[in-house]
Amino acid sequence: MLFFRSEETLREWCAAHGYPIRPLVTIDQLWKLATTWYSTRLQEDSRRPPPDEMRAIFARLGLEGDFWDPQSDSFG
Amino acid sequence: MSFDTRTKLAIYRHFAETGQRPSSEVIAERVGSHVSSVREAFSRLRAQRVLALEGDGESIRMAPPFSGVPTQHTVTVDNRNYFANCAWDSFGIPAALHRPGWVHSRCEQTGEPFDLEIGLEGPPPRDWLFHCLVPAARWWDDIVFT
Repeated sequence: MLFFRSEETLREWCAAHGYPIRPLVTIDQLWKLATTWYSTRLQEDSRRPPPDEMRAIFARLGLEGDFWDPQSDSFG
Repeated sequence: MSFDTRTKLAIYRHFAETGQRPSSEVIAERVGSHVSSVREAFSRLRAQRVLALEGDGESIRMAPPFSGVPTQHTVTVDNRNYFANCAWDSFGIPAALHRPGWVHSRCEQTGEPFDLEIGLEGPPPRDWLFHCLVPAARWWDDIVFT
């Protein structure tokens, strides 16, 4: 999970390593994801979101499809 | 509160207070128990995907968003430095601490520094991108690579 200056530099990196290009995530989306995921992490009742909740969190941020599905079997 | 929850909180509080991973001995002292019991709790927390452990089965590699080892993603909050496991977790540290801070990382292709101030309401608009190579269903197959 890495940062890239632009889509162009991301494409160059993927091509250089033979990796597929995955869905792009903006800085604003990443902040919302981080706060949703981690804002309660130091509290007693914190827990890792179960699959249904993960799917809902991603969907609220516009991150949908098999790639973001924690139970997808589309990737072997 | 269960023993595993007390252990988890002790780990996270140690990371938050020091920026460093705690040993099982330190956690045993914090929770008032034996090291062997703490190591067993570490193993259960690993199974719950709360921790990632080193090959020795007891050293904490990750207590997301905190990293137990140096990485390219560093975060400064209240003059304390932390290592994050990845780009996502670099935002996760100010989010978990509920404090403003600075994220320092880089563009993986060019090496251009990425220095971003995070306020309580989040970062200012930036046109950089985050990329996750591994599908969500495979993240914990190899969480260090992810």
